[in-house]
Amino acid sequence: MKQQQPGTSSLSGEDAERLAFREAVRTAAPTWPGIFAWGMVVGLAMTKSGLTVWQALGMTLLVYAGSAQLAVLPLIAAGAQLWLIFFTALVVNLRFLIFSAVFAPHFMHLERKRKLLYGYLCADLAMAFFPRRFPESAGPATGKAGYFTGIVYPNWMAWQSGSVVGIVLATRIPDSWGMAFAGSLAMLGVLIPLIVNSAALTGVVVASLAAVLGADLPYRLGLVLATVLGMVAAMLADRLSLRLGRGGRV
Amino acid sequence: MSDLEIWVAIGLMTLATILTRCSFFFLGSAERLPEPVKHALRFAPAAALAAIIAPDLLLDADKAVHIDFSNYRLLAAVAATLFFLWRGQLLGTIIVGMAAFTVLRLVF
Repeated sequence: MKQQQPGTSSLSGEDAERLAFREAVRTAAPTWPGIFAWGMVVGLAMTKSGLTVWQALGMTLLVYAGSAQLAVLPLIAAGAQLWLIFFTALVVNLRFLIFSAVFAPHFMHLERKRKLLYGYLCADLAMAFFPRRFPESAGPATGKAGYFTGIVYPNWMAWQSGSVVGIVLATRIPDSWGMAFAGSLAMLGVLIPLIVNSAALTGVVVASLAAVLGADLPYRLGLVLATVLGMVAAMLADRLSLRLGRGGRV
Repeated sequence: MSDLEIWVAIGLMTLATILTRCSFFFLGSAERLPEPVKHALRFAPAAALAAIIAPDLLLDADKAVHIDFSNYRLLAAVAATLFFLWRGQLLGTIIVGMAAFTVLRLVF
């Protein structure tokens, strides 16, 4: 896997970054169709929920966070208050705090504009590949920027092109096909690999139950409540299993 | 919602993306959070996703709990889950789930 140890390359810096970029592209390419489909589903869902084409294009190009977009669409359709939309997007995006905590030490030396760009592009796929390639955390090293951009640039393009296709096609797809259900299926496919141990499973079960029981709460507050309850339940279950000496950490 | 309100909502969502994704790029040390918070945060993605999906799979249009063989979404989600556990492939999982849902809807 690691032909190119960072910092040991005899190549010029620019060539090394280009090689790292290509290596990342090769590694991440099999995920592009999935990202495209996922983008398409969110594109469909945006138009189906009643956004105009321009609003939907604006949302995908600016927000670039599929789960948050899907979570907010019913709120917009129901005319929820803006603070709740903002809060829901924040809560659904909470995982990005963790991503950010993982990626920031690699890129702290970059100038402000580049940090903003790299942070903004830290989508789920970056998390899936980058920490595996550069397990050591701190500081600058040859190939990091190339490898990172080799994942996140094509990922952005696959997502956005899927989204645009979904937005354009949406009016030709009848509601009875249940395409929005494809969004739930895509999230299911993202969720399952996150259930890495019994603690995570506990969190998922508790969050699911709480979300179902709290579905009648106004403004989908049940979503927020369920997320917090699920997180706390998972943490407690993890502590318990660690104390019992058979725990695996995430 | 008016057009303006929707654009404000899009702006706020963009802000939510930037605040979360860029947070530690500008905050400095990621180690300052209390340990239990960091610990619970590790489970945030799974909990949030489950909280989003569960009502869609387990409730009917009137928000009543609906768990039996006439809930095609739930059955299709089970088929999709089995496929994912078998092949570990996101695209195929969506296709299998949608195919199952469509067949159930048209046949029964």
